[in-house]
Amino acid sequence: MRIVYALVLVAGLAAVVADHLSSPSSARAVSPEDFAGACAPCGAPCPSARKK
Amino acid sequence: MSTTTLTPAAEFPRLDWPFLIAAVLGAAVLVALVALDGQPASAALLILGFGLGAAFLKAEFSFTAAWRRFLVNGEAGGLLAALLLIAVAACVIVPVAALVPGFGGAIAPIGPSLVIGAFVFGIGMQLANGCGSGTLYTAGGGSGRMLIALALFIAGSVIGSLHLPAFLALGGIDPILASNHFGAWGGLAVTLASIAAVALAIVAVARSRRAGFKPRPPIVIGAIVIGALSIGVFLAGHHPWSVTFGFTVWGAKIASFLGADFSAAAFWQWPGPKRALAESILSDTSSLTDLGMILGAMAAAAAARPFARTALPPARSLLAAALGGLLMGWGARIGFGCNIGAFVGGVASGSLHGWVWFAAALGGCMIGIRLRPLFGLTRD
Repeated sequence: MRIVYALVLVAGLAAVVADHLSSPSSARAVSPEDFAGACAPCGAPCPSARKK
Repeated sequence: MSTTTLTPAAEFPRLDWPFLIAAVLGAAVLVALVALDGQPASAALLILGFGLGAAFLKAEFSFTAAWRRFLVNGEAGGLLAALLLIAVAACVIVPVAALVPGFGGAIAPIGPSLVIGAFVFGIGMQLANGCGSGTLYTAGGGSGRMLIALALFIAGSVIGSLHLPAFLALGGIDPILASNHFGAWGGLAVTLASIAAVALAIVAVARSRRAGFKPRPPIVIGAIVIGALSIGVFLAGHHPWSVTFGFTVWGAKIASFLGADFSAAAFWQWPGPKRALAESILSDTSSLTDLGMILGAMAAAAAARPFARTALPPARSLLAAALGGLLMGWGARIGFGCNIGAFVGGVASGSLHGWVWFAAALGGCMIGIRLRPLFGLTRD
């Protein structure tokens, strides 16, 4: 199990670093709720907005 | 003549240096990456997540076991500790979200999607034996079983993201936030009163079943520390702590890497998810705390005992972890979060959806508890 963990840790960190270096970044970390019209932590719209 | 007995503690070193160093070094690398980008709030979220992982592991704070003990035996200590955690967080989240521009509470529509998602999540958390935060800190803490649950949690949340728009179309009402109706401080009073009312009801149930309801001191301390750290996450991220959106983004990024195309998926066209999929995961608040939490739990576990030395449980138990993870992932996306994002974050924000989520997830837990023996797991 230790070997599996070591592999997962190395692969996971490598993926995060690679993703970070190859993707754009916001000026500050954001969550989907920061965007206009978001009505849930995942950024789903409000029922009232869907009816319009 | 003296004899020496070799105990398990003496057979292995107490500190597991390789994993302790790896966890601290991994966290330091991530903090350095966001610091180099001039994002002190992101660094703070990673460090707070690291603290949360360590706190959860040291306190052995478990929503899943606490809910199960309450439903099976009537024991309410763990459940009351969770309410204490929420009350601590609410004292800052409700007024700041209402009064300070740029900050917001955890809100969500109330409708079939919320109820169905939370119910399915409740089934999954009892099969996996861990919720969103529980899966993170036990997987980080060296449980191979929960590593499987985490992988399927991630997969389930991506599937859920594809189904969520259809469930939203079933209807619902806009979020109901206490501070919108009673003002910042009135909203806080109503929120704390609702927590107290639920706590009293839980105590009444425990008493009627002649079960204990006093939380153990380490759990109380854990609740206060986790509550304080969740306030820190709120202040750094401008929204309450959430866990599962990060999983959805990780899964979608992996799927995209493998060739999946989300351009036709409605969920991934909403502004928040679309941005999260396009940008670095270190720009996403929930991913930052999730990563910190895994590494924090790993560091705390490796500092206390040899890391990941236990053998995998029987295959049926692993199947329960996989199925539970899948159900939790799907349920979290359909139901707007897990115990942290929906229940803790929702109630601590004064949002009614948090209580609806709690009631529906508790119902799902009752089914999950009944299913546990099929997988060789105990009911209590």
